[in-house]
Amino acid sequence: MPTLAHYLVVSGLLFAIGLGGVLLRRNILIIFMGLELMLNAANLSLVAFSRFNLLPADGMPNYNAQVLVFFIITVAAAEVAVGLAIIVALFRAKQTTHVEDLNTLKF
Amino acid sequence: MIPPFALEICVVSLGIFLLMAESFSFKTSKVTLAHGAIFGLLCVFVLSFWTDLPADGLQGSGFYVVDSLAMFFKRFALLATILTLILAIDYLPIVQRLVPGERPEAGTGEFFILPVFTCAGLMWMASAADFIMIFCALELVTISLYIQVAYMRRSLASLEAGTKFLILGALSTGFFVYGITWIFGMTGETGLNAIQKSLSVIPVANHTALLFGLGLVLVAIGFKIAAAPFQFWVPDVYQGAPTPITAFLAVASKAAGFVVLIRVLQPFFTVPAFQEKLTLALVFLAALTLLFGNLSAIPQTNFKRLLGYSSIAHAGYLLIGLAAIGDSFAGKAVVFYLGGYLVMTFLSFLVLVPVTKAAGGDDLAHFNGLAKRSPMLAFAMLVAATSLAGVPFTIGFFGKFFIFEAALNQGLYLLAVLGVIAVASGFYYYFKVIRAMYWQPAGDEAGPVPVSPLSRMAIFACVAAILVLGVFPRFLTDLLP
Repeated sequence: MPTLAHYLVVSGLLFAIGLGGVLLRRNILIIFMGLELMLNAANLSLVAFSRFNLLPADGMPNYNAQVLVFFIITVAAAEVAVGLAIIVALFRAKQTTHVEDLNTLKF
Repeated sequence: MIPPFALEICVVSLGIFLLMAESFSFKTSKVTLAHGAIFGLLCVFVLSFWTDLPADGLQGSGFYVVDSLAMFFKRFALLATILTLILAIDYLPIVQRLVPGERPEAGTGEFFILPVFTCAGLMWMASAADFIMIFCALELVTISLYIQVAYMRRSLASLEAGTKFLILGALSTGFFVYGITWIFGMTGETGLNAIQKSLSVIPVANHTALLFGLGLVLVAIGFKIAAAPFQFWVPDVYQGAPTPITAFLAVASKAAGFVVLIRVLQPFFTVPAFQEKLTLALVFLAALTLLFGNLSAIPQTNFKRLLGYSSIAHAGYLLIGLAAIGDSFAGKAVVFYLGGYLVMTFLSFLVLVPVTKAAGGDDLAHFNGLAKRSPMLAFAMLVAATSLAGVPFTIGFFGKFFIFEAALNQGLYLLAVLGVIAVASGFYYYFKVIRAMYWQPAGDEAGPVPVSPLSRMAIFACVAAILVLGVFPRFLTDLLP
C-alpha cells in the first residue's frame, strides 16, 4: 500500500529530473519537456496531499487542490501552444533550436 | 454602483469585442482598434470610481478580495495599459516592418488587443486571495506577454528575447506551482485567509517543509519582479522586446508581482517564527538586487538595456520597503513608489519611442543633441531621468525618501546606507542620457523629432504628474490604501 511519502518522493524525483533537464540540456525542445515535467511533479504531489490529508470535519479530501491540478494542466497546455509557436518561429528565422546559438543580444 | 468584479468582465468583453472587430471588418484600420481599446479602458477606469466596496472585502468564498489596495492596483493596471497602447500606436511602423504578411497592416491587430487581456489578468491578480486564483491570473499575464515579447517575427532580437522569456517564465511557473503544493500540503488550504488561520495550529515539525514551499514561491515571484539573483533574463528581454512591451513588462508585470508578494507574505508575517526568517530573506534579496542593478547599469550604452538594469535597481528599493513592512508607513511607501515608478518609466519610454523612430536605434548615442533638435522632448526626458535618479522636487525623490524613512524606523540601517550608495551610483548612469542630450553635438542629418498628438498629451500629463507630486506628495499619499 503506497503512502503519502512514496508519492512525495516520486514527485520530488520528477521535479529534480525536470529541473536538471532545464539546467543541463542545450536543446530548447528538451528544456521545454523538462519544464512540463516540473509542472506534472507539482500535480502529482497536489493530488497526493489532497487524498491523504483528509479534512477532520467530514473525512473528505480538500478538493481545491484537485481543481488546481485541472487548472495547471490547462495552463500547461496553453503554455505549450504558445511556446512551441515561438520556438517554430525561432527555428524558421535561425534554423536552430540550441541555446548556444541565442547570442544576438549581448552587452 | 456596480459590483467590483464587473470591471474585469468589462475589460475581457472589450478584448473579445476588439478581436471580433479585427477578424470580421477588414476595412477597419488597426489604429482605430487601438483608439477603441484606449477609449474602452478609459471608460473602465472611470467606472472603477463608482464601484461599491464590500465591508469585509472578501467575495466569492475567499477567492477574490476587494480592498483599497486591490482597487489602487486595478487602476494602476488600467493606466499602464492605456499608456502602453499609446506607445504601441507610435511604434506601429516598426512592428509592421518586422511582422510578415501580404499587406503592411496584416497581423498587427493583436499587438493592440493582447495588452487588453493582459490588463484583465493584472486586475485579477490585484484581487486574488487564493493560490488558485493567483496562479491563473499570473499565467494569463505571463502567457499573453510571451506572445507580445516575441511579436516581431522577423526580428531575431525579438524572437530570442521571447524564447528566453518563455523558458525562464515557465521555469518560474514550475517553482511557483511546486511551492504552492508544499504550502497546501502543510496547511491543508489554498486560500490565503484560511492559511493564516491554520498557521497558528500546525506543528512546529512542519515548519521546515512550509518554509521550503514559501521559498520556492519567493523564487518564482523574484523572477517576476526581477530581483537578483533571478534577474538575468531582464536585460536581454527588455532590449529585444518591442519597446511598448518593454515598458509594459517593466511597470505592470513588476507591480503585479509586488502585489502578489504583499498578499502572499501577509499571512506569514503574522507568525513571529516566520517573520524573522522572511525579513532576513527580503533584506538579502534587496541588498543583492540594489548592488547588482546599479553596478551593472553603469557601463551600459543601449538605452533600453539601461532601463532594464534600472528597473532591477528599482525592484531593490521596493524590496527595502517590503523588508521594513513592519513599519506602519512602509506599505504606503511601497505603493507610492510604484505609482511614481509608473509615471517616470512610461515618460522615458514615451520619449524613447519617437527618438528611436527618428534616429533609427535606441542607443544612448541616438539621444545626442536632442536638446537642440527638440527642446520639449529633451526637457521631458530630463524630468524623467532626474526623477528616476531621485532628485528633489520630483516624485522619485519622495518615493525613495519614504522607503528609506520606513527602513530607518525598522532599524534596517545597513540597508538604508546601501540604498543611499545605490542612489549615488544611479545619478551617474541617469545623467549619462542628460549629458548626451544637452552636451553632445547632434549628427549631421538629424532634424527635429516628430511626436504624435496623443503621445504629446501623455508626455505632458506624465511631466505634470512628476513635478506636481514631487512638490505636493500629499495629493497621492492621501489617496493611498
